[in-house]
Amino acid sequence: MSRRGLGTAVIVLGLAGMALLLASTKARAVPSFGRQSGMGCNACHTVFPELTPFGRAFKLTGYVFSKKTEPYEFPPPVSAGGIVSFTNTGKAQPPGVAPFESRGNDNVNVPQVINAYYAGKLFSRVGTFFQGTYDGVSEKFLVDHVDIRYANYARIGRGSLIYGLTINNNPTVQDVWNSTPGFSFPYVSSSVVPEPIAAPKILDALALQVGGLGLYGFWNNLLYTEVALYRTSRNGPTQWLGAGTQIENLADGVIPYWRVALQRTWKQHSFSLGTYGLVARIFPEGQTRGLSDRFTDIGVDAQYQYIGSKHIFTAQATWIHEDQNRDGSFARGEAARRSGSLDTFKINGNYYYRSRFGTVGGTLAFFSTTGSRDPELYAPEPAEGSRTGRPDTNGFIIEANYLPWNYSKISVQYTIFTKFNGARTNYDGLGRKASDNNTLFLNVWLIF
Amino acid sequence: MRTIASKALIFFLGLTFFWGVAVQGAFGSGQNLYKDKCAICHGINGDGKGPGAGSFTPRPTDFTTPRFWEGNYERNIANSIKKGFREMPAIPMSDAEIKAVVDYMVKSFKK
Repeated sequence: MSRRGLGTAVIVLGLAGMALLLASTKARAVPSFGRQSGMGCNACHTVFPELTPFGRAFKLTGYVFSKKTEPYEFPPPVSAGGIVSFTNTGKAQPPGVAPFESRGNDNVNVPQVINAYYAGKLFSRVGTFFQGTYDGVSEKFLVDHVDIRYANYARIGRGSLIYGLTINNNPTVQDVWNSTPGFSFPYVSSSVVPEPIAAPKILDALALQVGGLGLYGFWNNLLYTEVALYRTSRNGPTQWLGAGTQIENLADGVIPYWRVALQRTWKQHSFSLGTYGLVARIFPEGQTRGLSDRFTDIGVDAQYQYIGSKHIFTAQATWIHEDQNRDGSFARGEAARRSGSLDTFKINGNYYYRSRFGTVGGTLAFFSTTGSRDPELYAPEPAEGSRTGRPDTNGFIIEANYLPWNYSKISVQYTIFTKFNGARTNYDGLGRKASDNNTLFLNVWLIF
Repeated sequence: MRTIASKALIFFLGLTFFWGVAVQGAFGSGQNLYKDKCAICHGINGDGKGPGAGSFTPRPTDFTTPRFWEGNYERNIANSIKKGFREMPAIPMSDAEIKAVVDYMVKSFKK
């Protein structure tokens, strides 16, 4: 890191810290969920945005639990937030690789994002988490994560059932366990670093690019099941769910999604084990008709939580296998083989200590992507290509967090790549090493 | 197929809204107030094992035990609703709404 870059980062984060101190004088000007429910933020979150059992219940029951008896919320449940960040990579990115107007290295993003939320009860048993974002890197406004729900309870003999409908724009964003991709660690990462060449579609590729409707049920606080159908947000009734996002993964027809999870809660512990997946037909990039590629994603996930009065420990893991049928890409010469596969695995452990000076803790994570070789699909290119034709990427993330108040988080995150796009050294065919992408990411996240 | 999916989505969007409005017609009954304000922690069956109960130590009160119904339970419930109790926030219900909730709890959980 250059001295100038480090100095700029210190000044920016210092200013952000001062803003944070000023914001703290309005500590009761809490995010809309807390204002609506009258509950402390620790009721719903271990450390935001990770959910506790109450947070999961609040989401499952439609974001409508309120301390008021009226069927509506007044004033409306609105909140705002933002992230400022500094990113340094082991080696600067080659010219033309860094996105938008970003520099090759030592990027200060003020803001990285600004968020506005309408989050809470809409009317009666219909509630929403609606996030609008200004992306400070691409300098664009967009409709970010959306989850609109209707939910209700039923008694079944001596058992209970929560059932509901969800309209959302990212398969798994509606999920209540933080072991599925929608809301999983790392919750914030740099948007100005080289990206691995491949990831299963369910991981991130469909986020904000599709819209869909799901039906779910949670029986006896034990068994959760959900089915949903998604369609592209390029046009039609789901278009508004992708407003501001360039649709790069155009779906050919509907995308079925499914989810099953078991949860057990005892004393201060909770454990969940589940599976989820989808089948998506996606046109090759730039195409709107003709042959498409078919992606079948099957995931397995687990989460353990211990929430004590001072100590919090959480562990999450997920493995996703993706079968790829690349008829569309093969016909266009963009893939060397008609079929392939990808496997990703991620595991992370988080520990936090709640003191009277705030909450402090961190996360250690391991991630891995492996897949079949395809020299056309995974071709050499500066920083983001693959010399070997393989997508294999793995490494570790170490993150330390300090939350002086409940709605502010200061993070230092370091990502170590032990392999990137198929190799440790000269992975892109132009001499770049995996470790050149090791990333120091400092950020301050405020929400109020 | 796309047309069908689009129409289905519009239909369910409308259904979701009007279902919410229809349910509102019954809002204010003891059962609905219990569902909306209590069930998330105390459970729809009143056993203190609602979906959110796992966040709290000690656990939310179990309304199905005879011990809960000893003494002046009406006053105890009203106080908890009006002033809050442990992690439970105060909920500004009218006396009539509190009576409706208590009546529903007696009918459903008192053995």
